[in-house]
Amino acid sequence: MPFKEAVIAALVSLRSNKLRSFLTLLGIFIGVAAVVSVVAITSGLDRYISEQVLDLGTKSFSIQKFDAVITSHERFLEMARRRDLTLTDVEFVRRRCDACLEVGASVETNRTAKWRDVKQEGVAVLGVTDNYNRIGSARPLSAGRYLVPDDVERAQPAAVIGADLAEAFFPLMEPLGKTILVGGRPLRIVGVAEKKGSLFGFSQDNFAWIPITTFRKYYSARDSVTIQVAAVSMEQLETAQDQCRVALRARRHLDYREPDDFSIETGETIMDLWQTATRNIYVVTIVVTIISLVVGGIVVMNIMLVSVTERTREIGVRKAIGARRRDIRRQFLVESVVLSVVGGGLGVVGATVFSMLLASILGGVMKTPFSAPIQLWAIVLALVMSTAVGLVAGIYPASHAAALAPVEALRYE
Amino acid sequence: MTTESAHDDHLIETRDLWRTYTMGVEEIHALRGVTFTVDPNEYLAIMGPSGSGKSTLMNLVGCLDTPSRGTYVLRGKVVSQMDDDELAAIRNREIGFVFQTFNLLPRATALHNVELPLVYAGVPKQQRIERARQALEMVDLGDRAFHRPNELSGGQRQRVAIARALVMGPSILLADEPTGNLDSVTGDEIMRLFARLHAEGNTIILVTHEHDVAAHARRTIHIRDGRIESDERTG
Repeated sequence: MPFKEAVIAALVSLRSNKLRSFLTLLGIFIGVAAVVSVVAITSGLDRYISEQVLDLGTKSFSIQKFDAVITSHERFLEMARRRDLTLTDVEFVRRRCDACLEVGASVETNRTAKWRDVKQEGVAVLGVTDNYNRIGSARPLSAGRYLVPDDVERAQPAAVIGADLAEAFFPLMEPLGKTILVGGRPLRIVGVAEKKGSLFGFSQDNFAWIPITTFRKYYSARDSVTIQVAAVSMEQLETAQDQCRVALRARRHLDYREPDDFSIETGETIMDLWQTATRNIYVVTIVVTIISLVVGGIVVMNIMLVSVTERTREIGVRKAIGARRRDIRRQFLVESVVLSVVGGGLGVVGATVFSMLLASILGGVMKTPFSAPIQLWAIVLALVMSTAVGLVAGIYPASHAAALAPVEALRYE
Repeated sequence: MTTESAHDDHLIETRDLWRTYTMGVEEIHALRGVTFTVDPNEYLAIMGPSGSGKSTLMNLVGCLDTPSRGTYVLRGKVVSQMDDDELAAIRNREIGFVFQTFNLLPRATALHNVELPLVYAGVPKQQRIERARQALEMVDLGDRAFHRPNELSGGQRQRVAIARALVMGPSILLADEPTGNLDSVTGDEIMRLFARLHAEGNTIILVTHEHDVAAHARRTIHIRDGRIESDERTG
C-alpha cells in the first residue's frame, strides 16, 4: 500500500476512536509539551538574565570580602575571618593597576527614608566614590547631577536618589535641593536616576547613592568596602583582575601557596551560576521526558496490539484481496507513527499555550515584559522523538499483524 | 512432474491434494488426496456437509493456504510451492473472493472498498477510481459509490463485494456461501448476477451446502471426509 494511502487510513482509524486515541497519545503529549515549554521558558529566562545581569558591565568587576554566592556555613565562617577591605586598599590597588580605567569603592546598607510624613522602607543606601557611575553600566539621570569629587572629599550630605523615592516623596514637587532623612540623617538631593524597573520582582529604583565618606560618618565606619573596578576594555578585563589580585596579595603579604583572602566577582560569575541552574533544569526535563515518552510508547504499543486484535478480520480481508506482509506491516507502523506524531504535535501546541501563559504570569510577577519564545529546534527534536517512539512502539504489533495467517484471520470473530 | 505447457487448457489442475492439521499429538487429515481440473468459463459448485473439508479445499483453491502434500497448478503456475508474498500476488490478480459475510471495510465507501485490490496492485490513483467505478456499474451500483456499507442493504453490500472481486479481472470468482446471509429474494438476485457474470465469460466456483444454490452451477463436486465423492455435470 502506498505511503499516502496508509497515512489516510491511519487518520481515519484515529478519528473513529477519538477518546481512545486521545488517551493513547496523552503520554507523548505530556513528554513533548514538557520539553518544548521548558526549553522555551529557560531560553526566555536566559535572555532575560543575560540582558539584565550582563548589563552590570562586561568590563567591570568587584572585589569583596565575601563570595557573591556562599555554599556552606563553613565557607562563611572561613570568609568571616578574612581581613576587611579598606579605602586605603582601594587607593593601593588604583596605583598598581594600569589595566584599570576606574577603581572605586562602595558600601551598602538598608535604611528607611523619610520626607515629612511619608516613609519609604528598605532603601538601599550606597556609600560610593564619585567614579561609581562610570563603573559597570551607566545609570542615566533624569534630573540633577552625579556625585562629584568634592562631595566625597568633604563628606557632603548629598544624595542621588532612585525613581522609587522620587515618586514616593515628590509626586508633584521638584525633588532637587530637598533634604530628606535617611536612617535619621539629613541628605540633600542633588540628582535623580532614571527608572529601570525590577529584576526578579525586586525594584532596582529604591536606592540612594551618597558619598562613601558621608556613609562612614553617618552609618558605619568599619564595614569592609567593596572595591569596584572597570577595566580599560573587555580584552583587558582579565589583566585588570590579575593586577588587582597581585596588588592585594602583595599588600597582605600572602604566600604563593595561600589562596586569595578576597573574592573577585564579575557579571559572568552570576551568569555561570545561572547556567549551572539551567543545566539542572534541562537534566530534570530530559529525565521527565524520557519517562513519559517510554510510558507513552508502551501505551501506544498496547493500543496498537488491541487494534490489531480488533481488526484481525480486516487484516484477513486485506490479505485475501492481495495485501502482502509488508503492506500490512506498513499500514500498522504508519498508524502507530501517526498516532505518536499527532500526540507530539498537540504537545507542541500545548507547550506554546503553556509557555505564553507562564511568560505573562512571570512578566506580571517580575513587573517586566518577559517572553518565552518556542524554539524551533525543540519542536523538531520533539517531533523526531515522537516519530521514533511511534516506530519503536509499532514494530511488534505491526509485525504481529503482518504474520497472521490469512485463513485464521478471516475466521476470527 | 508435469510440464506447464501440457496443461495450458486447464485453468486449475490439482493432483493428490492433502491438508493435514496437527492438534497436539493427533494428526487430522482435512483433505485426503483431492484431484480435479477446472477449465476456463466453468461454473462449478463445491458441496459438502460441515467438516467434509470443503472449506479447506476452498482455502487451497483460493491460495489462502498451501497443501501439506500434492500439487496445485493455477494458470500454469505451481502455486503449491509459493511463499506468502507470491501467494498474495496470486490472490490479488487471479482470485476474486466473495464471502458469506461480505467482509467490506466498514469505514470505507463502496468505491474505496472496490479500489482496495487495485491499491495493493500498485495501480495509480486516477486509474483506480476509473476501474472501481466501472466495476460498481457492472453490478448496477454506480449511484452508490460514496455510500458506506452501513448505508447499504445486504444485497447491495454483497454486490459491492462482487465488484471488489471483479475489479482486477481475476481468473476465478470464488464465492463462499454468497447467499448465506441474505433473504431468498436478494439471494436469487445475487445468483442471477453470477449467472450473468458466467455468461460474460467468468469462471465461477461456488462453495455451499445448499442444493438450491448449487443448482445454479453447471457442475457439482461433492466432498465427504476429505475426498471427492462425486463430480457431475448438470448443465
